Amino acid sequence: MATITGVIPRPTTYAGVWGWMTTIDHKRIGILYGLTAFAFMLLAGLEAGVIRMQLVSAENDLLGPARFNQMFTMHATVMVFMVIMPLSASFFNFIVPLAIGARDVAFPRLNALSYWLFLFGALLMHVSFLVDQVPDAGWFSYANLTEKPFSPNRALDFWAIGLLILGTSSVAAALNFVVTIVNMRAPGMSMMRLPVFVWMTLITSLLLVLAFPVITVGLIELTMDRNFGTHFFIPSEGGDPILWQHLFWVFGHPEVYILILPPMGIVSEVLPTFSGKPLFGYPFIVFSGIVIGIMGWAVWSHHMFTVGLGPVANSVFTITTMLIAVPTGVKIFNWIGTMWRGAVEFTTSMMFALGFVALFIVGGLSGISHAISPSDFQQQDTYYIVAHIHYVLFGGSIFGIFAGVYYWFPKITGRMLDETLGKINFWLLFIGMNLTFFPMHFLGLNGMPRRIYTYSAEFGWENLNRLASLGYIVLFVGFLFFMYNMWQSRKSRPAGHDPWDAPGLEWSISSPPPVYNFAEIPQVEGRDQYWIMKAKAEAAGTPLTEPEALIDVNTVHMPSPSYWPIVTAAGVALIGGGLLSHYAISFLGGAITMMGVIAWSNEPTVAPSDQH
Amino acid sequence: MQSTSNSNRPTGRRSSLKKRTVMFGLLAALFLFVVGCSKDGMSTWEAFGPVAQLQLDLFNVTMWLMVIVFFLVEGVLLYAIIRYRKRPGQPKPTQIHGNNTLEIVLTIVPTILVLGLGIWSVFILFEIDAPPEGSDPLHVNVTAHQWWFEFEYPDAGNGKKIITANEMRIPVDRPITLSLFSDDVIHSFWVPKLAGKLDMVPTHENKMWIQADSDKIDEDLPVTLFGQCAELCGIAHALMRFRVTVMEQADFDSWAAGYSEPPAITDKAKKGKQIFAANCTLCHTIDGPDDPALSASRLKGFLTGADITPVPAPNLTDLRTRQTLAAGLMDLTETNLRAWLHDPDGIKPGNYMAARAVLYQGGTVTLDEDQIDALIGYLLDLR
Repeated sequence: MATITGVIPRPTTYAGVWGWMTTIDHKRIGILYGLTAFAFMLLAGLEAGVIRMQLVSAENDLLGPARFNQMFTMHATVMVFMVIMPLSASFFNFIVPLAIGARDVAFPRLNALSYWLFLFGALLMHVSFLVDQVPDAGWFSYANLTEKPFSPNRALDFWAIGLLILGTSSVAAALNFVVTIVNMRAPGMSMMRLPVFVWMTLITSLLLVLAFPVITVGLIELTMDRNFGTHFFIPSEGGDPILWQHLFWVFGHPEVYILILPPMGIVSEVLPTFSGKPLFGYPFIVFSGIVIGIMGWAVWSHHMFTVGLGPVANSVFTITTMLIAVPTGVKIFNWIGTMWRGAVEFTTSMMFALGFVALFIVGGLSGISHAISPSDFQQQDTYYIVAHIHYVLFGGSIFGIFAGVYYWFPKITGRMLDETLGKINFWLLFIGMNLTFFPMHFLGLNGMPRRIYTYSAEFGWENLNRLASLGYIVLFVGFLFFMYNMWQSRKSRPAGHDPWDAPGLEWSISSPPPVYNFAEIPQVEGRDQYWIMKAKAEAAGTPLTEPEALIDVNTVHMPSPSYWPIVTAAGVALIGGGLLSHYAISFLGGAITMMGVIAWSNEPTVAPSDQH
Repeated sequence: MQSTSNSNRPTGRRSSLKKRTVMFGLLAALFLFVVGCSKDGMSTWEAFGPVAQLQLDLFNVTMWLMVIVFFLVEGVLLYAIIRYRKRPGQPKPTQIHGNNTLEIVLTIVPTILVLGLGIWSVFILFEIDAPPEGSDPLHVNVTAHQWWFEFEYPDAGNGKKIITANEMRIPVDRPITLSLFSDDVIHSFWVPKLAGKLDMVPTHENKMWIQADSDKIDEDLPVTLFGQCAELCGIAHALMRFRVTVMEQADFDSWAAGYSEPPAITDKAKKGKQIFAANCTLCHTIDGPDDPALSASRLKGFLTGADITPVPAPNLTDLRTRQTLAAGLMDLTETNLRAWLHDPDGIKPGNYMAARAVLYQGGTVTLDEDQIDALIGYLLDLR
């Protein structure tokens, strides 16, 4: 088999479509992640629009229950697995190696594989639209509604197999970042000198590596139940549908932190930069992140307070959930402390970061009210929960990600985003977000269950629903401004290497960064290394105004591009596609995967033409 | 939000403008709050029983505490960004890295707050777990089906067993213990005015209790409360509703005593009775509690999933005494019943009557208008 690589040498082109398809450059992969996830965000946003249109009035029959169930299922599944996670992954990819002074991630080809698995898994799940068998059991797809007698078509197989592939992608990426952060830090960058964003990436990656196997087990059991006659979750055959809930939420609660810790990391970079002060209480922010990462494993049953686990189990999970509010609160105090006596500069990035803090407080407080299990019995599965998750995931995660986009866009593209457009963008999203989701607190407390496609006028839910749908329109316009801002940046002014006077190492090199990142691996002397370097230069009377000088690419040893990540990922996607159509395709996919892996392992580290 | 005196800042008009903005914001929030909270049928802001009352009290305390924390923290945040905003020519701020005493205080204070609330809720959890000792509860078995509720009173009084559907009658001021079951997928039992929800899990019995207190209900009895399934259970989940009628014990007793007494029926209805017997009795029982063996065979037919097998269906005994049809979806009137018999799938998409009954296999009902008239006559004659 070793001959395979003998006849197919490593690709040498860095340009054009082939260049992107065979790239193993962490920066390009980061951009691919970002663009793909943004496309899925638009899709899931449109699904949300359909939901809001259906609910705009009582007894509305625009959509019908079947489509409605598909819409909210796909909206949430896409937003969680194909938008927020890959958007975070986009920043992990682009920023982490730069922020720790490395030239790439530890396993560049594995990194490419993660991206292609993500893309193909996501596309595979969306094939369900083409055959009109769209997943419709909610994003946590409670058994045994998901079993054959109640969901006879292929919809939930698309869901389960799509998620299995996405999970593979996430675990591979997470392993890569754990190894990268632990091993590839520049000399002098001890763990307690890591930028907080990198810390949060590390914690998130560890959570991913530990949490995804749990859902993988659940998804495989579900697939087995549906296709091969097992009875894991079928009560009439001795299975237990509650087992699914435990498996899902043992994964699902750490997943919540997987979604929120990276944006918390972003905000912890943005706030100090635009306050002109280092992060307040760095060790407390880091340790609270670690504590959240550990305690996140001990609270899963608060999603199951109404399942009937009994008062003893509910008490335990009430107390653990109440306690997890503390490290989150610590972070908020420290962010405010960072701005205290600083020089707060209202750039768009900073406004999104402030929006994150302001809105996350609301989500955190409503979270405390869910933790109180007796009153949660009234709130569970109502719009009060919907309001809460959108305050933490939209007001939290998405606002944090927007802060990151406005912050790092100049570094990624070398161009500035327009600040006026950015501020319009911010205010529309801020107002639209509150208009859409704040009324949902009241809807829930007024008794509106989630996941109902219609409601009768007598319950008085119509006006608040109208308000929420109006908010959606504002959000929609906000996104248009964002897209226009991205588009017009083609011609906007060059950013320079350090437009924000920022503390991170990534700002010491030119924008966009050269392929090799750092001409010379930096020697790190403390936290906020680039501030240290600038202060030293200033004190010496030679202020740093230029980025690190460029060097000849050919003098730097960089790994060459490779065909095999995309081939292997395509093979894996075919295995999944075969399970959904004809098993022969799975065997073909298996063969391609095998070939990809073998060719990959025999590939020389650099192409002959790239050797020097 | 008041700014401290600072040399390069205009005061007077601007700060009063700011004050007005803040006042406006507070008023808007208050307005939204007043408008936002309703006491309509499903609202949790009104409690008619001790369980819901304890839950509401706990929520109210939590909510107001959270409101205070909200204004405190957001206030400090706003103050910080206004007071410490960057001013032209400002020197680089002092580089502070932290303050351990402050950190410890700001960790311990919230810990005490949340632990206090947590421990209180644990006490409430155990308090609402079972009815007070020494009370004389009425027991009801509730079974959820896709997409309707079945209520079984093993002993509604004098040993009488009652099975009915989608409308539960309960005597006032008396604890009702509920055993919750499901025949198919997970559902959730929720009557917001009486108690928070509890899931109905197949092969797993869940127990809760509810009670309606006469001193908490302003209106004259009987009073009808709304309930709805609160766990996604398939295509007609949104339309899986039910009612709870709270009545005086005496009224409840006379209802129970009269249950399934053969009604006097008109001649037209006699024809309807034959049509019912020929077309509907595979799934619907109409003369008292369902025979357990029959129920079991219906369930088996349902779970095997074959077409045109009997499935569990609402018990129609004494249908006339009910207020609604199609799982609390609409009022029980002749017009609505006719519409339902003509096109059940149009009214409640996905329901199993349209899907499984022989009558509907051709897409429309195979009865003619006279037969439907007779059938309606019969069904509405049932007391």
